[in-house]
Amino acid sequence: MVKMYGVTRVYAGGAQALRGVNLSIDKGEFVFVVGPSGAGKSTLLSMIYRGTVPTNGQVWVAGRNVVRLRWREVPLLRRRIGIVFQDFKLLPDRSVYDNVAFALEVIEASPREIAKRVPLALDMVGLSHKAQAMPDELAGGEQQRVAIARAIVNDPFIVIADEPTGNLDPDTSMDIMNLLCDINMRGTTVIMATHNQLVVDRLRRRVVQLDEGIVVRDELRGGYCGEA
Amino acid sequence: MSGMSCEVDTAVKLRTMAALGGQALRSLRKTPALTSIMVVMACMAAVSIFAVFAVNLTAIGRQLQSQVQIRVFLDQNTVPDDKEALGNSIRALPGVIKVEYVSQDEALDRLKLQMGESGFFLNDLERNPLPDSFNVSLARAEDARAVAAGIWKLTGVSDVIYGQKWVDNLVGALRVLWGLTGIVACLALVGASLIVSNTIRLSVFARRKEIEIMKLVGATDGFILFPFVMEGLVIGIAGSAAATALVAAGYLGLVTWVKSVASFIPIIRDPIHMRFAVIGTVAFGAIAGLAGSAVSVRRYLKV
Ligand SMILES: Nc1ncnc2c1ncn2[C@@H]1O[C@H](COP(=O)(O)OP(=O)(O)OP(=O)(O)O)[C@@H](O)[C@H]1O
Ligand SMILES: [Mg+2]
Repeated sequence: MVKMYGVTRVYAGGAQALRGVNLSIDKGEFVFVVGPSGAGKSTLLSMIYRGTVPTNGQVWVAGRNVVRLRWREVPLLRRRIGIVFQDFKLLPDRSVYDNVAFALEVIEASPREIAKRVPLALDMVGLSHKAQAMPDELAGGEQQRVAIARAIVNDPFIVIADEPTGNLDPDTSMDIMNLLCDINMRGTTVIMATHNQLVVDRLRRRVVQLDEGIVVRDELRGGYCGEA
Repeated sequence: MSGMSCEVDTAVKLRTMAALGGQALRSLRKTPALTSIMVVMACMAAVSIFAVFAVNLTAIGRQLQSQVQIRVFLDQNTVPDDKEALGNSIRALPGVIKVEYVSQDEALDRLKLQMGESGFFLNDLERNPLPDSFNVSLARAEDARAVAAGIWKLTGVSDVIYGQKWVDNLVGALRVLWGLTGIVACLALVGASLIVSNTIRLSVFARRKEIEIMKLVGATDGFILFPFVMEGLVIGIAGSAAATALVAAGYLGLVTWVKSVASFIPIIRDPIHMRFAVIGTVAFGAIAGLAGSAVSVRRYLKV
């Protein structure tokens, strides 16, 4: 599903975000990416949806060489990937329903398709009853649910989450994790960068640990801190 | 009592109106699109006014030019064969469209006719003092100097005269006017594009969050930039259409006025010219709008 070969990324300022990362993630896996701040987690995730390109090395997603993708093919890749961020990235002047529908409108889905998919996505995240609420009327956890609904509304095969619980309290974080596990259970690959020791240790999924751009640990059913 | 309440009413009304006016002005300042439509309008109006003057003065100039003639006086002792050869040589010069031979007798008759009553003394001449001559008509007056120089080189010519100063002045003035029109057009294009591009930049900035999400969920570049390009196009067209309406109204007024007080001035008023001018101006505005939004879309949308 996702394969990286010798991926290196040097930013314009000279920061070496990734250094020779090799990684293979299968369909349906749930992967935590952990490591200290600045280790390169966000950079690693953005390689998958072509938010950045490697300075060196190759990235393959669903059998396509992402580095070699033409400009007009990038949007098509992103339509198959759902992305969730720490800061939710909701549009404050649109209702919950419209925020989710927005993702379909801008890829020119038919009104029928939109009317069918949006309620399903809202139901999946348990927010059907708040469809007409505005984002600033919602709690943080609810806002993140809206963002997740928007990420899955187009039935992606991968969900990428960059510190989705970063702004949430422990209980709400666990709710969001349960939701991501549900999504993973339906066969969607989930790749999540996090600093949240609690959820990593509780869930015991595959853990990829980065340090200064290098994969220092890749463990099935790992904890946040490894063996020690 | 009732008088007083009326005064209060007026004062309240005035204050309300002032408040509303202020509000309108403030919202105008907050609406960059409207401001830039007005700037585009000013730019396009300037170009239109210059172009209107240039086109009309060129037409007037052309009409005056068609009346410009070169007069060639012949040596008195040229034999008829040589005269004919000379006439043919002149006719062969580039830019010459007509050569008319005027014998000294004809020249005298014309002079008498021109002078009328006061030409009585011409009847008492012993000998015709006028030389034989050619009247040379030109396609374009600006060729007069070159043609005259060419004629000077031919044999049998004693003098060449034409309204040199006048023709040169007219040609020079028209050239300057067209040059100015070109400069104004360039400035207007740059100015209008800049203001449109600034408006689009603000517009992109205002919607940067939406744009970021659109990119993340896989909207195509074309889909993302389309509204911004449209916005630039609409500003360009709206501004130039307003300018055209303004200038056209002024021009039609001028046409009516000229027709009534100075009908000999050949001001252009045929609808084909007008239609061309309207379409041209609006197209020019559209190009400025497109150029402006293209600059901003490329620089700030990074698609
Ligand atoms: N756009 C950028 N331009 C320049 N340098 C960058 C850019 N993005 C990240 N970096 C640098 O690359 C390195 C890795 O950054 P990255 O954001 O991938 O780390 P991270 O593991 O996600 O950190 P955090 O846990 O704080 O989110 C850092 O040194 C960072 O300063
Ligand atoms: Mg990060």
